[in-house]
Amino acid sequence: MAETILTPDELKPAAALAVKTLEQLDRILLGRKEVHRLVLIGILARGHILLEGVPGLGKTALVKTIGQILKLDFKRIQFTPDLMPGDVLGTHILQETSSGKRELIFQPGPVFTNILLADEINRASPKTQSAMLETMQENCVTLLGTTRPLPQPFFVLASQNPIELEGTYPLPEAQLDRFLFRLLFDNVDADVLDQIISERRRGELPAPTWQMERSELETLFKTMGRIYLPRPVSRYIARLVSATHPGGPEATEPVNKYVSYGASPRAAIAIAEAARAHALINGRPSVGFEDVKVVAPPVLNHRLILNYQARFDRFTTSKLVTELLGSLDETGLNLPKDVELAKGN
Amino acid sequence: MNSPHPAAIQAFSFKLKLLLTLRVVVQVATVWFFIWGVFVLAMRISHVQQTAWLALGIFGFVPVALLFAWRESCRHPAATHIRANYDRLNACGGVIMSEEAADMSAWLGQLPSAVVPKIYWRSARPLLLLGLAAVFVATALLLPERVTHLGKNHSLEVAPIIEQLQAEVKTLAEEKIVDGKKADELQQQLSQLQKDASGYDPNKTWEALDHVKQANADAAKQAAEEAITKTESLAQAETLAKAMQAAAESGMSAETASQAAQDLASLINSAKLEAGILNGQIPPELLSGLNGLDKEQMAKLAKALELNKNSLGQMVSKLANLKMIDPATLAKCQSAGQCKNPGGLADYLSKCQGGKCDSEFLFSWLQRVGRGGPGGGGPEAPMVWDNDTSEDNQKFQAHALPPAGQLSDAQLVGVSKSAPELGAPEVAAGHGALYNAAASGGSAQSQVVLPEHRQAVQNFFKREN
Repeated sequence: MAETILTPDELKPAAALAVKTLEQLDRILLGRKEVHRLVLIGILARGHILLEGVPGLGKTALVKTIGQILKLDFKRIQFTPDLMPGDVLGTHILQETSSGKRELIFQPGPVFTNILLADEINRASPKTQSAMLETMQENCVTLLGTTRPLPQPFFVLASQNPIELEGTYPLPEAQLDRFLFRLLFDNVDADVLDQIISERRRGELPAPTWQMERSELETLFKTMGRIYLPRPVSRYIARLVSATHPGGPEATEPVNKYVSYGASPRAAIAIAEAARAHALINGRPSVGFEDVKVVAPPVLNHRLILNYQARFDRFTTSKLVTELLGSLDETGLNLPKDVELAKGN
Repeated sequence: MNSPHPAAIQAFSFKLKLLLTLRVVVQVATVWFFIWGVFVLAMRISHVQQTAWLALGIFGFVPVALLFAWRESCRHPAATHIRANYDRLNACGGVIMSEEAADMSAWLGQLPSAVVPKIYWRSARPLLLLGLAAVFVATALLLPERVTHLGKNHSLEVAPIIEQLQAEVKTLAEEKIVDGKKADELQQQLSQLQKDASGYDPNKTWEALDHVKQANADAAKQAAEEAITKTESLAQAETLAKAMQAAAESGMSAETASQAAQDLASLINSAKLEAGILNGQIPPELLSGLNGLDKEQMAKLAKALELNKNSLGQMVSKLANLKMIDPATLAKCQSAGQCKNPGGLADYLSKCQGGKCDSEFLFSWLQRVGRGGPGGGGPEAPMVWDNDTSEDNQKFQAHALPPAGQLSDAQLVGVSKSAPELGAPEVAAGHGALYNAAASGGSAQSQVVLPEHRQAVQNFFKREN
């Protein structure tokens, strides 16, 4: 009994906060409950999220609403091809002080915030995109030899448009790997659209009826850290990530056929953290296999590099991950193929 | 707080281990039955018909299955895996798994109700294979012998008979009973028969062998009969020659000698040495001058006659040794022409003066045919009836015969149409085709005829000759 597991009394308030947050999101933004859930998971896991979808689907509104509910500072950068790193990180400006001397004063960029919306991030040049690498991984900015920490918590919620690819610069793999999730925004169905039209004049969002205090957010993060990851589950995560590598012992036939490079260890860490957050939202003190199955697709779908054969066969990473989750035995029991387990009555 | 989950986990673990063990046992039994079936078939094709221990071998899968079951139990899933599966299937959200590392008692009450997960085994195929294997091994055990020997040559075991017949033909050829050309043909025919002998159609082989044996027996019988005739004449001639030799020393008259020589010539001629199976081997100068042979020449003649007789005797002995003639024929040949009282004949010749010697008496002497008389007498001895046999010193014991039953008192119980049953105990042949077959009495009439020989026996009795 080396571990100290959360008691129900400890976990219940944190889970209630998470549920309240989700309720606010679902109330303000209609028809995307699953995305809201994953975004909250990403925030609780302290990960960055890449939102992918055509314009007008509510990506920016989601990020704004998150900022409002969490009472966090929110800034937005519209990425364009001529955007420079200094426009993101900040720059030194020569200023005259009160004593009459002139010195370089650091003018922080929009990255110095809690929630940064990097809109259409793939329109910026690779040079500017790479300026985000340190901020996203180290949560700090280094300029002229001086490292400045970013305010905590710090999240990047980037969006990219999958169409109009002319004049865009696809995100390098190193940067993609730094995003915890890549969430795909689909069109909402007619009922939701009808509700939006009838309830939201000019698309104006209602104000949140409840906002999370900073201390509550800290409580959430602390509780998240105490969610227990059982050994069989961590083993499952490790096997799952390992199975994405072609030629691996548990690699499936599609993996061997279509994958050039599998997921990195960072992906395994991301799955574990996201699964913890999912367990917290569901009011459980430990991670189960189902938590992993929920968070694995958005974690892995931008980390697998497929080959040309996959393009020819129109085989997507989503299909691959779904197939992998379906074929891999969670517990590693390795029962004979003719023996199956099922739920009891 | 007493949670029902530990008991459910234990039940789940037990069920899973039991099913995995059962699965291995079924697999082992299937493989064993197939292997044992093949082994049984191989043994039965190899003429091992003791199916009792082959049938018992089926149960050999038990120790093998136990061994594999023990091996399987060593590889059974660990408790961690069992708990993980129970957690997953009961949607416990990792709480059951976490129990191994921390005290989760506070959370057990919030878990779903404890239900033992179901275990499904797609057993149709394994059980079908097991059934097929069982049917296979049963079929291998119960397969009729004729089917297990289907691929065999079924060669007929006729080698000893062929060897016997070849030896017979060889002897017949050596003794010139059959000529060399015919003997060679017979030998070739026998060799071919041995090659062509097949158990699928034994009638043809047995019939051919019977023909050869019959032909050999006929030739041997004919030769033996001829040999008996010649031996008889030669023995009589030899006896007469020796009697003449002895009588000449006792002063046999010239007339008697001449008459005896004529009778001797008659006897030698009746032997027909130059014809048949024995060519004349008596020196011609002796045959031509029978009337004037001196003592030495007569001895030579007697010796020549004896040699010829012995030669015939040896030939008949050979035939008897090969069982081509029966012992009675051999005995008949050995005793043919034997004179009971050669000394009496010599006396008769020496006493017979002046050519009064009667040829009839002479042949009677030689053929042991006489009128009897006291002291053994010769053929010329008078018949007297005045000397009764003395009963002195003889003991006779009176036996009272049992009273004869009155036939009129007999009562008819019934009339049986079947052959009388033999009272002899059952005997069993110890070798050959009748090995272990029950027979009664050892008689040919009561001998058991195996089904495969029935056709041959029927064909044998259908033959015209």
